[in-house]
Amino acid sequence: MKMEKHRVSINVNGKDYSEEIEPRTLLVTFLRDIAGLTGTHIGCDTSNCGACTVIMNGRAVKSCTVLAVQANGSNVLTIEGLSKDGDKLHPIQKAFIEKKGYQCGYCTSGMILTALALLNRKRNLTEDEIREALSGNLCRCTGYDSIIDSIMLADSEMAKTEKEEEIFVEA
Amino acid sequence: MNLDEKFVKGRGQFVGDISLPNTLYLNFVRSNYARARIVKVYGGITHKDVALKVSSVGEGGEGGFGSIAHPVLASNFVAYVGQPIAAVYAEDPYTSEDLIDSVQVDYEPLKAVVDPEKAIDFEPIHPGLKSNVVVDRYFGNDFEIDADIVVEDRFVNNRIATDPIEPRGIVCNYDGKRLTVWTSTQSVFSIRGGLSEVLGIPESDIHVIQTDTGGAFGLKGGMYPEYIVASYLAMKERRPVKWIETRREHLMASRPGRGVIGKIKLFADRKGYIQGLKGDVIVDNGAYSGGSGEFSSMFVARQLAGVYKIERAYVRARAVLTDKVPQGPYRGAGRPEAMFFIERIIDRLADELNMDPLALRLKNATTENYKSPLGYQIEPSRNFIEKAGEVLEYQKYYPRGNCGFSVGILYHATSGGESARIRVKDGKVTFWLGGNAHGQRHDVWGKMLIQEELGVDQSIIEFMNGDSDALESGIGTWGSRSAMVGGSALVMAARKLKKKVEEANGEYSTTALLSGEWDEYEYFDYDKTESSLCANLVTVNISDLPKIRVEKCRAYYDAGRVLDPVYAAGQNAGGSAEGIGQVLTESLSFNDEGQPLIASIADAGVLTADLLPRFEVKFYKSESTLPSRAKGIGEAPTIGVPTALSRAIERATGLRIRETPLSMEYLMKAIKN
Ligand code: FES
Ligand code: FES
Repeated sequence: MKMEKHRVSINVNGKDYSEEIEPRTLLVTFLRDIAGLTGTHIGCDTSNCGACTVIMNGRAVKSCTVLAVQANGSNVLTIEGLSKDGDKLHPIQKAFIEKKGYQCGYCTSGMILTALALLNRKRNLTEDEIREALSGNLCRCTGYDSIIDSIMLADSEMAKTEKEEEIFVEA
Repeated sequence: MNLDEKFVKGRGQFVGDISLPNTLYLNFVRSNYARARIVKVYGGITHKDVALKVSSVGEGGEGGFGSIAHPVLASNFVAYVGQPIAAVYAEDPYTSEDLIDSVQVDYEPLKAVVDPEKAIDFEPIHPGLKSNVVVDRYFGNDFEIDADIVVEDRFVNNRIATDPIEPRGIVCNYDGKRLTVWTSTQSVFSIRGGLSEVLGIPESDIHVIQTDTGGAFGLKGGMYPEYIVASYLAMKERRPVKWIETRREHLMASRPGRGVIGKIKLFADRKGYIQGLKGDVIVDNGAYSGGSGEFSSMFVARQLAGVYKIERAYVRARAVLTDKVPQGPYRGAGRPEAMFFIERIIDRLADELNMDPLALRLKNATTENYKSPLGYQIEPSRNFIEKAGEVLEYQKYYPRGNCGFSVGILYHATSGGESARIRVKDGKVTFWLGGNAHGQRHDVWGKMLIQEELGVDQSIIEFMNGDSDALESGIGTWGSRSAMVGGSALVMAARKLKKKVEEANGEYSTTALLSGEWDEYEYFDYDKTESSLCANLVTVNISDLPKIRVEKCRAYYDAGRVLDPVYAAGQNAGGSAEGIGQVLTESLSFNDEGQPLIASIADAGVLTADLLPRFEVKFYKSESTLPSRAKGIGEAPTIGVPTALSRAIERATGLRIRETPLSMEYLMKAIKN
């Protein structure tokens, strides 16, 4: 079933990727196989797990539910774009380390990007608000406590540092 | 890069992330029927190409093939929906997926048997077998007793998917001499041993490398048909071959856990002393061996006395073939089932006697080591239960009527020991363990133990993933064993190293250590099964039935020396969430034809953050006698939470809870009342 190919260009983490692809190619496949950014994971085939979460044009999306052609011309931020290697970690990343917000690490990218979208939208979150916001992301290891603690810490840390420097990563 | 930085930056290397040039992408054509004769297969790699059977290795595996070994690809017969029949491959994943439809299979459907109790007397599902009952053993001695009170009940823990967020996967490559395998696994040595046995090539010609492993919970300890086909194809084509499981495949063709029925009968006097126990354990083995059904039937039976001193006990253990995917280990693997059965019937007995369940437990607990007639050693439990009652604030919560309490014993899979290696080179310390971490953070406690023994700073210690070339041999990470025997192997290796430095330099110093080159391998031999006690208290809110909210979920564990309290709490939280899932939402059900009714991870019931409480844990002060002084913890929450939660729901709703997961229809009864 060979399909006609389409040229798709997506800006990922500030860099343009352009490729002829089959229209059925998913954004997650584009990110992993074409851009080579494997920090975005795949955990299901029914858009339930959130392991593939990225920020597209400022909004958190599950990249397995978006066709790459639909993302043509978009700006996408993946986990790799949150801190370049060697660069300072983003407060959310720091908080996930400090509060031990992962065990196996497979859901982590999706959790961090979901948290970023959430914190970009609202601050001083209550635990219930965080739980609600995470309801599209599955973690089978942590029981979520450490993830929630990580996000709460990031919330307060970001409030502290915000005044001094621009730490938002906008996609 | 250390583990922490790696994962928060998205720089882990999971098996799906490995891409070698020239890779072939593998896919499987799977059975649509739970039971059928295969008339003909058109296309694909089939049984004719790979006429092999899956060896039974890994957790609960007995090694070898046995009479009901799983064919790698079905020959003339299929016995469960999802069973691999043929394999296809292509240069890219999408084309490979398309090829699945190009293979046609002609079936002659047969009547399937799905219910293990029915399967006992059903015609054997495999030709040449006399019965579907593949294990039928008795433990303890039969007895007759004239007791004041007899309570009996039948409990069920239905099957659930292991559902790590990263499914299974493998990449294989062959250079004409050696087969190299990258896989998401709990044990590179099970994979190496299994492949060697099945493919008939020496272990020395196989190199298994553990990729970062995105959870496993028992799933990734053993051999699977897909791994054998991938290896076969890599060797045949001399090209890298990659297979990554989809969630859909995981739900139908990866070994699920639980699937155990327990009938249990207690004989007691009016004061509450239990005089005898009879039981009948039936494990839904699924269609083939290679999982853990045979082992777990006996394992459950032997633990059925729980933490109690019961002088007479007699339990039958059966594993029964059904037309379903073979059962496998899932966090606890027989321990949660046994504790569910005994703890639930103890609650029932308490109700019958109109006695406080904690008091009843204390009455039957033991004050010394007690060898159960069923086979296992039960450690003194009285003190622990008493303490657990205080720490978990039983007296405060239990009277409220929405609370349940349970105790249990966790038998660690310490038998067999484990290996470790420490290498010092260029001023850096590197270590490997025989059992492979998949979220337990072996890196954290490993570094801590090395620092303790050798006095070196943790920042220069590096932890390596599993690698069959880096160590001579090893077992695996399961059965709450790693901090115990893996940790002990590491401690012993460090001590040997220290001695060598001492011998070479007259005295030990970190400078002497770090300026030299050292390499120490240690196999910590151990043949005993250790154990530790655990207790849980759970409260529920049922004001919004059929929704049930867990409010408090508290734990009290004997984890020996707790190597890292925060990660130990993390193990509790994750396992408790799974325990709640088992009771409230998780299922892997089938219809009468053996068709799976669950097609997504959401349907399978993995719980999200908004449906779970905060988890609390406290630790009993103790130390194990092992060099690491630790005791295992990973499976404690799945042992205790389901039964404490069931009791809480039972009391809040007035419905007897006998089965996990709870069925909606059953709960609706409570609403009507
Ligand atoms: S892979 Fe996208 S939601 Fe699961
Ligand atoms: S840390 Fe393993 S799935 Fe979340």
